[in-house]
Amino acid sequence: MKKYLFIIKTQIIKSLTYEFNVYGNIIMQTIIMITSAYFWRALYSGRSTVEGVDADNMLTYVIISSALSVLLITNVERRIGRSVEKGTVACDMMKPVSLFWMFFAEDIGSIVALIFQNMLPILLIGSVMIKLPVMADIKDLPLFIVSVIESFLINWLIAALFGMTAFTAVNINALIQVKKHLIRLLSGSIIPIWFFPESVAKVLSSLPFVYIYQLPLSIYIGRGTRAEHMVQMQIQFIWLVILSALFFLVHNIVTRKVMVQGG
Amino acid sequence: MIDVNSLCKDYTIKHKGAGLSGALKGLVIKNTDVIHAVKDLSFHIDEGEIVGFIGPNGAGKSTTIKMMSGILTPTSGSVLINGEDIAKHRKEVVKNIGVVFGQRSQLNWDLRLGETFELLKHIYRIDADAYDKTMSVMDDILGIKELLDKPVRQMSLGQRVKGDLVASMLHSPKVLFLDEPTIGLDVSAKYSLRKFIKEINRVRKTTVILTTHDLGDIQELCERLIIINHGVMMEDGNLKEITDRVAPYKTLVVEYYDEIAPHHEKCEIISHEGNVARYRFAKSDITAADIIASLSSEKAIKDVSIEEAGIDDIIKIAYGK
Repeated sequence: MKKYLFIIKTQIIKSLTYEFNVYGNIIMQTIIMITSAYFWRALYSGRSTVEGVDADNMLTYVIISSALSVLLITNVERRIGRSVEKGTVACDMMKPVSLFWMFFAEDIGSIVALIFQNMLPILLIGSVMIKLPVMADIKDLPLFIVSVIESFLINWLIAALFGMTAFTAVNINALIQVKKHLIRLLSGSIIPIWFFPESVAKVLSSLPFVYIYQLPLSIYIGRGTRAEHMVQMQIQFIWLVILSALFFLVHNIVTRKVMVQGG
Repeated sequence: MIDVNSLCKDYTIKHKGAGLSGALKGLVIKNTDVIHAVKDLSFHIDEGEIVGFIGPNGAGKSTTIKMMSGILTPTSGSVLINGEDIAKHRKEVVKNIGVVFGQRSQLNWDLRLGETFELLKHIYRIDADAYDKTMSVMDDILGIKELLDKPVRQMSLGQRVKGDLVASMLHSPKVLFLDEPTIGLDVSAKYSLRKFIKEINRVRKTTVILTTHDLGDIQELCERLIIINHGVMMEDGNLKEITDRVAPYKTLVVEYYDEIAPHHEKCEIISHEGNVARYRFAKSDITAADIIASLSSEKAIKDVSIEEAGIDDIIKIAYGK
């Protein structure tokens, strides 16, 4: 356990090496956040509530979604892709650590650094330029935190599963882009799925993606009752179990098939 | 120490046609070929040996090293290190081995060298005393302490290889695998690397297995050679034994005062340019002194020298098989 904590620490040091990357991310996130805010303001003009959510709550949704997207940055798929493509997977394999725990620890380390480098600045910019994103009911905070942790894990497992295809496909850059935009569209991170046609929304609510963004965000802005949230969190948990099982299954197959390119 | 039992590794490679049409066909129709990179390799290595693993490019050296160090899983056969199968207990067995690849680094590009070492210290759970002791030994051999604060991305190749060597020795492994460690290094860096290998072998009794194309490495370091080609073992034995068996001859170089060189019934003249003639003779057949005596009775000799069959002769012969 201690060695993984040290991997986290080292990763934080590494993340602090390239500061310009950090400013770029903040600017990009700010642009997306402000654009979405104007978009929703325009759509809500003249209406007070749509689907039980008023304009004010929708702006909170936008800000928290931007902040959450920082937590949900994963590097595992690119990390695997790069090390397989360049053959450095050899150097990862010769250490007495389990490969995926190491990748997990590295992602945790990056995110700890990003909380300070990106998430707090984005929350600050959102609060100043859009509105103060206050939580609807502070009593839901524990529920919110648990759902965020679960959504983080679901998101990471999906990324890791995508990354594992690199062991056979070698170059997965395109696949990573597909995954990224699929999650954006299907998770409600930009447009909540309650704006989608009912049949589409129904299908989506049985897939894991909405439980990455929309569930914690709904809890935050207080859309739906607590009973509804509890049901959704059960589905979220079921997805977490399914994806974990799938992960360990694929993991065992894949590490036996490792190939090292070059040399 | 290390037992390799009928080790095999097959690769399945996709066979794609040349050019754009070939690439497009390859997307739809998959032709696969099975390549036998390593075929039925068995050998045993004792503690404290330095074994040179040689063979031409693509002979399967690196693949074998990667299987021995737990990076690749063998198709069949097994590698036992201290009696434990590395493919089955990778995480435990790799604590006893260190690996350096000349062509890729395990050092972290974004970190200072010392930070990478700190990370390894925790990953391998090295206690502080042992760590400090190893570091001072490494500093004596390689002068590593002055590099600790330098970011790896700013290092030269020679410095980086030094860093990699220390990184691989931090946890005091019993076995060290070196895959072409001297590749691309200058003379002085090669010298310190060879010194390093000799020192750790002498002081720590570390078993060293190295692949190399550098004949100097082999001559200076290896007591034992394993030559493989096309994934098959060609030779395994003491350097001198192999020389005696594969190339059991010496060359006598004789310089005369003019261009006429006499013959000798037990030697073969392999070249004759100007005043210099080269005679090759079998060591078991006749001694150099006898040949010189017999030649000088026929003609006045200005100068003589004797060339042993070198490692390059052995390699030429072994690779040519």
